[in-house]
Amino acid sequence: MTGTKHMKHDKPLALPIKKIITESERVKTFVFDYDFPGEPGQFVMCWIPGFDEKPFGIIKKDGFGFMISVAAVGESTKALHMMEVGDMLGFRGPYGSTFNLPDFGSIALVAGGYGMVPLSFLAQEARKKDIDVHLFIGARTKEELLFKSWMEEIGVIIHPSTDDGSEGFKGFNVQVFEDFVTKHPPSFGHPHVERALRLPEGGPIKDLPFEGSTPQGGGMLSKAYTVGPEIMEMKVAEICYANNIPFEVSLERYMKCGFGICGQCCVDPVGWRMCVEGPVIDGEKLKQISEFGKYHRTASGKVEKYPWNKDK
Amino acid sequence: MNLSTNLAGIPLKNPTILASGVMGVSTSSMKFVQENRAGAVTCKSIGHEERKGHHNPTVYSWGQGITNAVGLSNVGVDDGTVLLKEMIDALEIPVISSCFADTVDNLARVAEKLMASKPVAIELNLSCPNTENDFGLMFALDPEATTRAVSQVKKIAGNTKVFVKLTPDASNIVDVGKAAEAAGADALTATNTLSGMIIDIHTKRPILTNKFGGLSGPAIKPVSVRAVWNLYNAVKIPIIGTGGINTGEDAIEYIMAGATAVGIGSGVYYRGIDVFKKITDEMSAFMEKEGYKSIEEMRGIAHKS
Ligand SMILES: Cc1cc2nc3c(=O)[nH]c(=O)nc-3n(C[C@H](O)[C@H](O)[C@H](O)COP(=O)(O)OP(=O)(O)OC[C@H]3O[C@@H](n4cnc5c(N)ncnc54)[C@H](O)[C@@H]3O)c2cc1C
Ligand SMILES: Cc1cc2nc3c(=O)[nH]c(=O)nc-3n(C[C@H](O)[C@H](O)[C@H](O)COP(=O)(O)O)c2cc1C
Ligand code: FES
Repeated sequence: MTGTKHMKHDKPLALPIKKIITESERVKTFVFDYDFPGEPGQFVMCWIPGFDEKPFGIIKKDGFGFMISVAAVGESTKALHMMEVGDMLGFRGPYGSTFNLPDFGSIALVAGGYGMVPLSFLAQEARKKDIDVHLFIGARTKEELLFKSWMEEIGVIIHPSTDDGSEGFKGFNVQVFEDFVTKHPPSFGHPHVERALRLPEGGPIKDLPFEGSTPQGGGMLSKAYTVGPEIMEMKVAEICYANNIPFEVSLERYMKCGFGICGQCCVDPVGWRMCVEGPVIDGEKLKQISEFGKYHRTASGKVEKYPWNKDK
Repeated sequence: MNLSTNLAGIPLKNPTILASGVMGVSTSSMKFVQENRAGAVTCKSIGHEERKGHHNPTVYSWGQGITNAVGLSNVGVDDGTVLLKEMIDALEIPVISSCFADTVDNLARVAEKLMASKPVAIELNLSCPNTENDFGLMFALDPEATTRAVSQVKKIAGNTKVFVKLTPDASNIVDVGKAAEAAGADALTATNTLSGMIIDIHTKRPILTNKFGGLSGPAIKPVSVRAVWNLYNAVKIPIIGTGGINTGEDAIEYIMAGATAVGIGSGVYYRGIDVFKKITDEMSAFMEKEGYKSIEEMRGIAHKS
């Protein structure tokens, strides 16, 4: 890679907002006229001049360019929602690890909330490689199913779910995903699956309930990817482990420097930095992160247990 | 190559020490640094109360170095003492305990509490440039304030060594270093970050939310080398040379200026978490090539030629 266009920016690069898209009551997308570097799974530190700087996933939508999608949850994200076209934001990055796609086959994306941000970008790249994409997207209500029409346009197979039943399954996307996994036993007709699922001594592997769930890929599904609330990610991880599905998860921790020196985003007990070794973590490596689904550290470095883990 | 050194009675396998405020948030992050061959680690400065630090942006690189105004985020001394004990128990290498406070009395209180974890050394951060609004001017700008701070802590320190971290912002860092030595300091860390400011001309404002910050990395190396050189001529206690060390050559430059050990912070950004491995390998390669047998042999050698 040459030229300034693909350089990493470690000093905030000020860019005017070119376009703002209101996705739902809680989410706005900000589009910029700049070819910011980055791959699916990576993030930027977004500077709101004079106010704060926060991490957001990178999206590079074909025909739109670099954009971020922000859910208004607190002070800074609400401040972002107040911004107008032409206002300046600063960007550092891209930071962190990236998702890894198989060479062929099908993948499952399990997305909750703004988890669609990195996963939409990943879906786009997967479709370019002709990989089939099954999207298990969950939201409170129909209007909050982020990027649904974009995903339809690029040929993603969508399995929606909503809390209120206004679209798709009424309930959690994790449940839809689990059903899908357990109802799709390996089919030995497919050539890739045939190759991948034969034991070295001959004969098929019997106990693989998930089609094509081998590192070689092939078959109906090769790999799963999940981004969303940590409790959801935890459930997806359990399903994947139980069914021998290789998967990747994005693990968010409090970020300050974003480039690996402040130590704020390190996870127990391995000390890996979620801004460098993460946020995308492979399912096998995830087994070594004992704090996953249990607690995180706040801006001071203090351990804060998740609500569902409080009395343990 | 034998890179061992003795820092104020503390034996180090190699002279690289993780500088305070970098990576030192948890026991796990410290173990990650140990795995990458640091000779010792310094924890993030611990203060009286829990602090979230300044609003981001708190750390970024501007091309010639890093600027930060993290704002001394920490868990507070009560949890900090527990954390420090956990670090000391879990690590094989020495853990230096950094601390700060707004007043001399509070500094002594924080240090006294930390003493419960029996650290080998306490580093008094008298030189954070980013908390003036909260805590007033740095102690290390002024020899008298430094004397008061160090002698108070020395009274309660027992066997724990007391290191004093100096600022390159002092009008005469040598006077401050001499004051610290006279008050009983066992070693000096030179230096902390250099105060600075960077303005984004497009948004017309300083980038750090705190406006000012501390500069570190390659940009400040000559400033800190000069500080070590001058201190080496003026004090007998050992010096931890710190500021802009990215390579084995940088570390040797500090040692030749008179440093006993070297602090590494921003190097984790420039070279990766394995910066300690890289630096020690590069030091060994240099020493082999030039025929040096020990760190001791090179210490202060630049003063003799
Ligand atoms: C790698 C990564 C990618 C992200 N991608 C997106 C995205 O694409 N879209 C999106 O809407 N949100 C994303 N987030 C979350 C987003 O950063 C937070 O929602 C935002 O920082 C909240 O700030 P606030 O002031 O509005 O709320 P606050 O009230 O300050 O915080 C709400 C919650 O956000 C989290 N948070 C706050 N500050 C930080 C920080 N500096 N680093 C990490 N987490 C923080 C904390 O868990 C906190 O409890 C991402 C976070 C990470 C770590
Ligand atoms: C992000 C960051 C945080 C820091 N926090 C502290 C701190 O809490 N206490 C302290 O004494 N020094 C702190 N420092 C200063 C470093 O310990 C070191 O003295 C300085 O960065 C120069 O060394 P370097 O160029 O190797 O980074 C911090 C530096 C950085 C970059
Ligand atoms: S945010 Fe990851 S180390 Fe600073």
